[in-house]
Amino acid sequence: MAAPLFREDFLLRLERLSLAARKSVAGQTQGERRSPRRGQSVEFADFRPYTSGDDIRRIDWNAYARLDKFFIKLFVEEEDLTVHFIVDASRSMRWGTPQKLDYAVRAAGALGYIALCGLDRITAYAIGLGKDAYFPPHRGKRQALAYFDYLQNFAGTATDLVDRPDPVKSLRAYAARVKRPGPLLVLSDLMDDGWLDGLRELTLRGFEVSLVHILAPDEADPQLEGDLKLLDVEGGPPVEVTADYDLLARYRQNLAAWQAEVRDFSLRRAMHYIPLVTTLPLDQLLFTWMRQRGVLR
Amino acid sequence: MNFLAPLALALAVLLPVIVALYLLKLRRTEHEISSTYLWRKMIRDVEANAPWQKLKPNLLLFLQLLFLAAIILAAARPFTTGQDAVGQNLILILDSSASMSASDVRPTRLEAAKNRAAQIVDEAPGDRRVTVIEAGTAARLRVSATSDLRLAHQAIEEIQAGMGGSQLGLALELASAVASRQPDTDIFVLSDGRGTLPERLIIHGRLHYVQIGLSAENQAVSQFNLEYLAGGGLQAFIQVSNYGSQPAQRRLDVLADGRVVSAYDLELPAESSESVVAADLPGTGGMIEARLEGSDPLAADDAASVVVRRPAPVKVALVTSGNLFLSTALGLLPNVALSVVQPGEALPAQGADLVIYDRSVPENLPAEGALWFIAPPKSTPFFSVTGLVESPAIRAVDSSDPLLRSVSLDGVNILDSVGIALPGWANTALAGDLADGSSIPLLIYGEQGSRRTAILAFDLSHSDFPLNIAFPITLANTLNWLVPPGEGSVPAALRPGETLAFDLPAGAAQAVFTLPDGKRSNVQAAEGRAVFSNTDLLGVYQVQWLDGQPIRFAVNLFSPLESNINSLDNLPGVEAQAGQASAGAQPGQREWWRWLALAALLLLVAEWLVYQRAALRRLLDAAAHRLKRPVPPGGALRKD
Repeated sequence: MAAPLFREDFLLRLERLSLAARKSVAGQTQGERRSPRRGQSVEFADFRPYTSGDDIRRIDWNAYARLDKFFIKLFVEEEDLTVHFIVDASRSMRWGTPQKLDYAVRAAGALGYIALCGLDRITAYAIGLGKDAYFPPHRGKRQALAYFDYLQNFAGTATDLVDRPDPVKSLRAYAARVKRPGPLLVLSDLMDDGWLDGLRELTLRGFEVSLVHILAPDEADPQLEGDLKLLDVEGGPPVEVTADYDLLARYRQNLAAWQAEVRDFSLRRAMHYIPLVTTLPLDQLLFTWMRQRGVLR
Repeated sequence: MNFLAPLALALAVLLPVIVALYLLKLRRTEHEISSTYLWRKMIRDVEANAPWQKLKPNLLLFLQLLFLAAIILAAARPFTTGQDAVGQNLILILDSSASMSASDVRPTRLEAAKNRAAQIVDEAPGDRRVTVIEAGTAARLRVSATSDLRLAHQAIEEIQAGMGGSQLGLALELASAVASRQPDTDIFVLSDGRGTLPERLIIHGRLHYVQIGLSAENQAVSQFNLEYLAGGGLQAFIQVSNYGSQPAQRRLDVLADGRVVSAYDLELPAESSESVVAADLPGTGGMIEARLEGSDPLAADDAASVVVRRPAPVKVALVTSGNLFLSTALGLLPNVALSVVQPGEALPAQGADLVIYDRSVPENLPAEGALWFIAPPKSTPFFSVTGLVESPAIRAVDSSDPLLRSVSLDGVNILDSVGIALPGWANTALAGDLADGSSIPLLIYGEQGSRRTAILAFDLSHSDFPLNIAFPITLANTLNWLVPPGEGSVPAALRPGETLAFDLPAGAAQAVFTLPDGKRSNVQAAEGRAVFSNTDLLGVYQVQWLDGQPIRFAVNLFSPLESNINSLDNLPGVEAQAGQASAGAQPGQREWWRWLALAALLLLVAEWLVYQRAALRRLLDAAAHRLKRPVPPGGALRKD
């Protein structure tokens, strides 16, 4: 692999952040997060009467001495959480200066690292590749390198790309496959009507979705002039335009309207919506924007 | 509309070529973008909202086609047939008289005439030759038989409204002379018809009279004279004429040195005159002005000025042993201070402007003053007497002689006369024919150096001349010539365009004129005489020489011909001897290619602007942005 995804000092800074989950989710193994289940931990939660079959080691003998009844002491069980990353790796993401996919991969890497540092499990999924690249749940800071490798791997794959990816199908499949929904970050340029439908499926399934909408500078403010035939790198139908001032102004209006529409969509489904242009420095995104929006803390 | 070069229309095959080129050109530059998703979304909206948008890319094509069409049309040289048939040669006569300044046609008649003339020149066939004649106070040939249209236009444009009359007759004769040299000539007279024309005039060429102006209501100060009363009083005689067909009411102001001294409300019936006698005018001022208040189409004749110049009395010494006729006649002349002296006696001490020696000759002639000898008995240094001649038959040498103005010599008989050898300095006004066929001078006059001298050869008592009406008139004329009235010989009033010629005193090399508009003009004297002809402006002029007092004189229109600005619909008495219309005469043409070329140029500019509109808008936008605050990095998305 080429250069490492992040520098050491950057990773150190990331360790100070943690993912904020809005609701507590039941996990599988012990982690750092509160679980709705009561279990073994140092934080006391409640008492309940002993019933046969309970572990007698958890009987509160002090209570028995005073009340002559068996009580089981309940503790807040701290559990892990699975954070899902869905990265749009379609051809349209491999475009722009700086490239959108690079940006998405770095953002996903950084956020994943934050999650791993928080003893959460992470899993990742790349859409738009011929064979969906799936990163199974991993836990522990040591898995970060594997995760980075995985990201760089599919980002470097220029072959084996689907011409017209179908995000609805992929997202629906993902939603069905995952047993325990949790926080889910989508990094995409949303250049397909299917994305919003797919996201709707995910929220219905109970995912806590944060949508990072990545655009290249040339998409936010295209510098075009003259009579052009615009070719779609994903194989969509070409569009013929005569780019002049009016048209570009209308394009920008249209883009703003579209973003407003997506934001509206997100708000109604309690999704975080983070639109950005790839010229935005990554640390500004993580340390400022995401904290402001409550994705990180 | 026809075309001079219809073959150029074949270039229209280029039009489809442009369309074809455009279609080829429309193979658009391919540009790869991440996704056409947003563009598709937008184009859909646009197509739904603005169907005309489809036409917009074709705007350039449209402009280019129009441009090419304009160029092709211009190359084909389209023309429209003009109003007037014009032959090979074209003579334009433009009236520049005072009446052409009338504003009944906006802005003035002259401007209208000039525009029309320019149009006629433009409509003439391509190889015509143009002559432009201005008919003002004189007929001036502005440009002669030129084929350079620019020159012709310039000549027309240079014509300025004069304030004088219009020598239409002279101009027509001049045009006729030009036309007689070149066949196939059309003469256009652009005039209101108010001009000096002979009773009958036959000219060469085809005559077209282009009537300029309408009938108009004009009032004018048509006469303005001053009368110097014996007691020192001053009164003015003013005539105001209404040349219109409607009665008019005008107020007449009389001003002395710019101050209103009296005003008269005049009721002027149609086509009539009213006279006003303004009495008791202040005689001390230098100038009296009569002015009509209000306005009418011709402003030039609404005011008139006269210069107050009270004549100084002429001191005349009559040396005679007794001549009742002469002393009575001289005594009756106005403005003459007569003193009668016996021969041999001394002349009056105060001197004399004129000494008349009746049948006597002094031992020593006086040092200055004019001299008039009547029947001198002996020779003097000025002339020599040769004897007595019996019964000469009197006749005028030249009836237009200033001494014989208004003089009729019928029934004048002379018994005898002194024979005088005609000196070299003298002109003969009256001569006597003798029985032997020879003739002798009877009345001669001339200047001896600067001294004016006249000699009447016969004794008045030996003739019935003193009994004839011719006597006092001849006497007055001679007196006027010997002692010119007042301030040198500058007249007090002139007509516009009239030439002023006067004697300058010895030592004055030039005279300085101040025109009514304040401009100055220096006139160099030639042989003691100054000639000034720049009297086209109306108003009061000043002339000054050496360091003397300025002398004023006024130029007024006073011309019924010009003040009557009702335009005539034909030129009375003028006939054209057209000759046979030559085959070369063709209808006048007005070419349009200049306008088409101009349109093509404008289309080209428009095409360029449309092509560059994106860049232009960006420039404007950048300029507008600079006026606001600078844009933060991150652009519009930052707002989120």
